[in-house]
Amino acid sequence: MEHLKKLIDEAKKDFNSCGSMTELDNAKSKYIGKTGPLTEAMKGLSSLPKGEKPKAGAFINEIKKSIEGLLSARKEMIQNEELLNQLNDESIDVTLPGVKRNQGSLHPITHTMNRIEMFFHSIGFTLADGPEIEDDYHNFTALNIPEYHPARAMHDTFYIDDEHVLRTHTSPVQVRYMKNNKPPLKIISPGRVYRVDSDATHSPMFHQVEGLWIDEKVSFANLKGVVQDFLQQFFEDETLSIRFRPSFFPFTEPSAEIDMSWNGGWLEIGGCGMVHPEVLRQVGIDTNEYQGFAFGLGVERLAMLKFQLNDLRPFFTNDLRFLQQFRA
Amino acid sequence: MQFSKSWLQEFFDSSLDAIDLAQTLTIAGIEVEDIQDLSGLSDQIVVGEIVAMEKHPDADRLNVCQVDVGANDLLQIVCGAPNARIGIKIPCAMVGAKLPGFDIKKAKLRGVESFGMLCSAKELGLSQEADGLYELSSSLVLGQTIIDALALNDSIYHLSITPNRADCLSIKGIAREVAALSDLTLKNKDTVQNLQYKKNNTQKVVIEDPVLCARYVGMLIQGVDNKKKLPEFITHYLERGGVSSINPIVDITNYVLLETGQPLHAFDHDKIDGNIRVRKALNGEALLTINQLEIVFDGGELIIADNSGPLALAGIMGGHLSSTQEGSTNIFLESAYFDPAAISGRARSFGLNTDSSHRFERGVDFGYTRNAAEYAAALIMQYCGGTIDGSADITGNLPERPAIILRVKKVTDVMGVRISDIEIKAILKKLRFEFTYDESIFSVIPPTYRFDMSIEEDLVEEIIRLYGYDNIPALAPSTEAKILPVDSQKKDVKTIKNALANLGYNEVISYSFIGKEVEIGLHGNSTPIALKNPIASHLDVMRSHLWGSHLEVLVYNLNRNQKNVKIFEVASVYAKHKGGYTEAKVLSGLVYGDHLPEQWSEKIREINYYDIKGDIETISSNTLSFRKPATDLPAAFHPGKVAEVMLSNTRIGWVGQLHPSWQQKYELPRKAYLFEIDIEKVGEVKGLSYTIPSKFIPIRRDISLVMNKDVVVGEAIESVYAKQIPGLIELQAFDIYEGEGIEKGKKSIAFLILIQDTYKTLEDSDIANVVDQVIKVMESNYEAKLR
Repeated sequence: MEHLKKLIDEAKKDFNSCGSMTELDNAKSKYIGKTGPLTEAMKGLSSLPKGEKPKAGAFINEIKKSIEGLLSARKEMIQNEELLNQLNDESIDVTLPGVKRNQGSLHPITHTMNRIEMFFHSIGFTLADGPEIEDDYHNFTALNIPEYHPARAMHDTFYIDDEHVLRTHTSPVQVRYMKNNKPPLKIISPGRVYRVDSDATHSPMFHQVEGLWIDEKVSFANLKGVVQDFLQQFFEDETLSIRFRPSFFPFTEPSAEIDMSWNGGWLEIGGCGMVHPEVLRQVGIDTNEYQGFAFGLGVERLAMLKFQLNDLRPFFTNDLRFLQQFRA
Repeated sequence: MQFSKSWLQEFFDSSLDAIDLAQTLTIAGIEVEDIQDLSGLSDQIVVGEIVAMEKHPDADRLNVCQVDVGANDLLQIVCGAPNARIGIKIPCAMVGAKLPGFDIKKAKLRGVESFGMLCSAKELGLSQEADGLYELSSSLVLGQTIIDALALNDSIYHLSITPNRADCLSIKGIAREVAALSDLTLKNKDTVQNLQYKKNNTQKVVIEDPVLCARYVGMLIQGVDNKKKLPEFITHYLERGGVSSINPIVDITNYVLLETGQPLHAFDHDKIDGNIRVRKALNGEALLTINQLEIVFDGGELIIADNSGPLALAGIMGGHLSSTQEGSTNIFLESAYFDPAAISGRARSFGLNTDSSHRFERGVDFGYTRNAAEYAAALIMQYCGGTIDGSADITGNLPERPAIILRVKKVTDVMGVRISDIEIKAILKKLRFEFTYDESIFSVIPPTYRFDMSIEEDLVEEIIRLYGYDNIPALAPSTEAKILPVDSQKKDVKTIKNALANLGYNEVISYSFIGKEVEIGLHGNSTPIALKNPIASHLDVMRSHLWGSHLEVLVYNLNRNQKNVKIFEVASVYAKHKGGYTEAKVLSGLVYGDHLPEQWSEKIREINYYDIKGDIETISSNTLSFRKPATDLPAAFHPGKVAEVMLSNTRIGWVGQLHPSWQQKYELPRKAYLFEIDIEKVGEVKGLSYTIPSKFIPIRRDISLVMNKDVVVGEAIESVYAKQIPGLIELQAFDIYEGEGIEKGKKSIAFLILIQDTYKTLEDSDIANVVDQVIKVMESNYEAKLR
């Protein structure tokens, strides 16, 4: 019986030399197969005296278990190795390009307007819209710019016919909104506007965002507060200096140009003021009860500053190489 | 407007250098566009005189000049200026002088030595244009630096004056603002005391319209010498104010205009026939203006006339024939107040925009009319001699300056911070506004030169302006916290744009105008909305579709080697409607090239109709249908490859391939696809209901049917749905085949059928029943045969 003990060492050696499952299967049959030495030994038990049988049987089982243990350990090892090899074979070049889609993008003006809208939405402004082919009344007269007023010369207007123009600002939207809604009013009106002008810094079509806030106690100090807050948030710079410079617009009084500090100087970025009482009267708002402010900002100018671009024209030439930088 | 700082200085005893002038003007609301410093010229540029000159031996156009610069030796300078001649004094840049842009060195010009350069005004940076040498006054001392000789220790301020501030269109007006915003005291410079004149009334004046001409002062000055030379400071100030010198009398009227803002006109009295009448022009009357322009009146224009006809267009421009010339000896000087209504629009309609009309149409100080005439007359007599024969002085209906009530509370309300009564008082005084005060209420009378003060808010603005915008704090408004509504029935434009960008589309922004031919041809609009004043002929009408613009974007990018172009834009399109115009916002796009960029891992194919249809279906929350159009097919599309995009039973847009003839016209090597949809409709989230999925799993059955090639699959599927077969939840075509094994003129379509019951597991017989019903509908409607 003792010779069977040596089988463990032999099996160990044998199994370890197997490099594949097939080899291991072959080796296995040498020990625990139907014709293997252990099966033979089991068969030989019958010839043993009755008293020795249980002990000898247990001994053989012991050895069988040991060999099976060795077998399964080796089996696991080989399977792991085979898996590793397989994985190794399957490995890919992860640096090759991913499936290229067409690169989509949102126009930088849209990016800019979306941000502006979000800022003002966060303090309760809603959006208002109006026609781009506007009548003379809403574009000028209702805004306190009568015919022959020199201020009309400040607007290089596109004319459609005697009564219609392409709106020169988004202010007529405010007029229409004030006519149709009761105060308090709090709107911004973004959109396309038109002036007869075309060079490196002027486009015949460009975008404005105008804001209007009419309430009982909305003051010039509040106008400064809102505009300054907005510009500082827009440029993500809470130390940004804003200057309000006295100016003139027929539809606001007092009026101011908005300048911001830029590269050591001042840069004009928009206009604003307290809504002129004549404008409020035109739309039937009682000036003894309500007052408010309006402001207008050039979207292209804000976008150029934010994206650090020094030319206005790429906004309208629509070169995909330019546009695709502005991903959604 | 531009002016010399030295001129402004004359209104103050203390030096303007004590204040930051540019900053003061800025906070007054006067925009400083540019400050041009004249004092930077080299002191090696001196007054010289050409004392001898001979032709250059080797160059026709050059002269060899001997120049006296007040030193012992003459300088030999080679000069090519056409006006070089013996006896003139000129600026001479000596060796070592620095000029704007270059340095003067000893040089040899075609073999002749030259020790400097004789200069033009342009070379000195004193004017934009110059033809030839700058000829200096003969009274200047030779060798004096040009800085001293021309009083160039000065700078020119270029300002932009807003249309409401007519009172600032003069040196005096600017000085008033500077005084109001600083501690400097304004001097009285422009009124004359004890002017001596006779009380004759030789030249009579009749005012026919006392509203439009509310004040008229005329002075006859006899025996002037208009060939005299004015002191240099006057011509310097005029030049630096942007006005060129003409003759002494005209220069003096311009001098008074620039300094005081009162336009004047000097007629040659010998050319006036009888009484002067200020009247409305008659239709057909004509005037040859000073600048030799023949204008014919419609009638109704305010003119100055004599017995023979129009002498001047009132407040805008004088006539050539009655103008003051060098030889004029008797002058009739006019200082008037014309109502802005008499001038507004007139100047522009004649194409005449003059210093005079610019001021009259904005408002001229009607309290200064006579003083201006006296000031000018005194200067004329001082520099050109002559005596005043007498004056006409007629006052009509001058503007009124009724008192305006100003409440302290109103100022505080508008400003948003408290201001005291005393502060307001001080500001009104600074502004030289007359006022009375009683219990926080002011009653204010603005000066005759302020045309922008008529209501309380105008005064409030002035108080805030003088208080200083910078001194008002930036305050966050206190407001009630109210939640804004959010519409669940509408996908906003932002979401739709993002969805398209994620599908590989690039958002573009193109002009709302397009060329008329494109609008008529491609867009099929026979009645385009034309602009009266387009910036270019290819941008002369408003567009009714965005396609023309997008094809331009496509061509632009193809020219820059882009292979695939997928663009979209959300914009208004315009249409004529019942004598007016309507606008609608559309989502429009163009797709061109391959469905994916060229790459190693994917097989690339050309984009097709179904790619774009799929994109449109993806961005819409509703189920859209696509219909073969029956009528009014847009000219832009290939008639066999275009669909109407339908939401319920309404057409909300178009999608299809660009018509091959347009493709050829735009020289596109490949097919382009276009779409355009009503953005409001595509974002509508209406009538959607939501259900929890059945616990039973749908069963799929596939069938292949052979039908005629011209059967529209979408319609066939709709016709099955219309039967509302119980258990059928989806019918889809997943393969289409024509060719071998299929009869000619037929096609084989593989459908998948999804079958499910809400309440029970289906038996095989139930499933077979549904499939049978589907086949029956197809058989009876489309003569389909099971393959």
